[in-house]
Amino acid sequence: MSSSGKEGPSFLDTLQRRSDGRNVNPSLGTLLGEGAQQRVTDLDGANPARTLLSSIPSRSGVDSPDAPSYHGLPVLKQPVWIATVPAYLFVGGVAGAASLMGLAIDVLGEKALDPLARRCRQLGTVGDILSAGLLIADLGRPERFLHMLRVFRPTSPMSVGSWVLALSGGLNTVGLVLGRSRGVLGAVGKVSGYSAALLGMPLAGYTAVLLNNTAIPLWQATRRTLPLFFMASATASAGSLLSLLPHSPREAGVLRPYRLAGKVAELAMGYAVERDARRAPEVARPLDEGLSGTLWKASRACSVAGLVVDALPGRRRWKQVAADLLTTVGAVTARFAVFHGGKASARDPQATFRPQRRGHGAAEVSGHAMASDGKPFSFPLPVVR
Amino acid sequence: MSRKGFFTDSTVCIGCKACEVACKQWNQLPDDGFHFTGMSYDQTGDLGCSTWRHVAFVERPVPLPGHDTGVGDFSWLMVSDVCKHCQRAGCLEACPTGAIVRTGFDTVYVQPDICNGCGYCVTACPFGVIDRRPDDGRAWKCTLCYDRLGEGMTPACAKACPTESIAYGNLDVLHERAENRVRQLHEQGIISAYLYGKDAANQPGTGGLNAFFLLVDKPEVYNLPPDPVVPTMKAREAWGAVAVGALGMAAVAVGAVLFGRRGTP
Repeated sequence: MSSSGKEGPSFLDTLQRRSDGRNVNPSLGTLLGEGAQQRVTDLDGANPARTLLSSIPSRSGVDSPDAPSYHGLPVLKQPVWIATVPAYLFVGGVAGAASLMGLAIDVLGEKALDPLARRCRQLGTVGDILSAGLLIADLGRPERFLHMLRVFRPTSPMSVGSWVLALSGGLNTVGLVLGRSRGVLGAVGKVSGYSAALLGMPLAGYTAVLLNNTAIPLWQATRRTLPLFFMASATASAGSLLSLLPHSPREAGVLRPYRLAGKVAELAMGYAVERDARRAPEVARPLDEGLSGTLWKASRACSVAGLVVDALPGRRRWKQVAADLLTTVGAVTARFAVFHGGKASARDPQATFRPQRRGHGAAEVSGHAMASDGKPFSFPLPVVR
Repeated sequence: MSRKGFFTDSTVCIGCKACEVACKQWNQLPDDGFHFTGMSYDQTGDLGCSTWRHVAFVERPVPLPGHDTGVGDFSWLMVSDVCKHCQRAGCLEACPTGAIVRTGFDTVYVQPDICNGCGYCVTACPFGVIDRRPDDGRAWKCTLCYDRLGEGMTPACAKACPTESIAYGNLDVLHERAENRVRQLHEQGIISAYLYGKDAANQPGTGGLNAFFLLVDKPEVYNLPPDPVVPTMKAREAWGAVAVGALGMAAVAVGAVLFGRRGTP
């Protein structure tokens, strides 16, 4: 019995449903069950009405005779993450790549490049701190953010990443504060900054593993290439952002090859990600259709434009600004495309069922010949790994 | 304490939903809305943060072998779905806080006082069982009545099941019972009966399920994946790609500093 917003709850609702949906009178019953702690403030928000199935139930789940589903319902839960997560995928990557660039300049570059190294470290530190904020905002219980550092679990990219981000952010901050001191303090600052920079590499890449290490078909299927794409994209975006900030001609000489290499690698890896996903047409669908498809195409177009405009001859400032903005927009959009693509992928039961039937499920790693119901995989065996 | 689990025999399920009600009542879970779905007799839809047992109703345009329905080619499949308490649990391996643990009964349990609602387990479950309640902020799923097990009691759903479609007990006993039941069904002519997720040999991707099922049609029909895999099994390749990417990032940074153009731009 759904109560529409206009009419308010029906008489039956007010009679039967206590505000917490449990129907337990607190003066008569005690709430001690395993689920009694569940905080309930918005009953209808937690249980939105489904689209009413209008076809005959006995035909509803049958897309085709060999691909049944349960009334077309999704088999997986959609990721519950909010927009701060794809935003973090971008910011964290930039922070990691910038920190690493700072280290490379510090160790190998001459004195004239010192200001650029400092800007790299500043960008890295700001990015780290911003990342932590974005991640905490996504938690269901933000006040418990420190529980992330309660254990270290190597099987969980989320745990590995929390430690990498916490260490990288902490060490970067120490490095920035103490970087210009002398004596022991200065040495501590230097070592901290360098350690943070080395952590920048896993920071830029683990965010992809975070997505790959899930049951979401699109994310799982791109596990060989998505980390490379994210890391290349991080390099391209860090180079573009550093180029947007004011810099000297000598610094421009370093930034140009850095940025261009990143942009070329990002394009190549973006193509590789798409090819990886297309091994199963159901998996790649979100990259072609809907919101995620639009975002993905837009991001690819921006990245190509960013590289082409950058590589064109001419040294006018506006040309450079346009190229770097295009690359940055492309990188941000790509993160949102992958994120929303994952959500769409989770909503489609056939994206899970069909590839698994063709041997792209557990068989890919364990090499068994039959699905859980004892039927051989429909894809010609042996399974290609 | 020995390994406990559920054996859910779909062939004797009558779709009474007593398990759903018993689960809600014992665990004092809030209702999951009173919405009409149009999906046969299933008004629940799926498992979720506040729904730890769910009875699936499958209407098929094909008869069961040896059955005469009187309404043409038709058969009804019902099965009570639940958290599978996998041997290799995706949610447990993904939990960064240590909130999800394996208990002494070999079941998978979420500690609500530890969970900080990061939502990673939601994406890691290959069965789409665990979910985060938006107004609570934490992830919830079936506890296999951890509180009742501690007292030596049977979980509420199994206790309430009138046909023993849900059997609770030691896993080795359940395995034997399930195999006997499959043999019996095969003898009766229902050759499509099979066990879903009984052990690692049957389902290598999860290492076997502590809550396993007897089904008579493809798993997809009941909204179960045909070859589920714990995501961690495939993550090695992703970490390998990160290692390659790290080398690439370092090479680009070093190369740019060493060979970046000197002098006027």
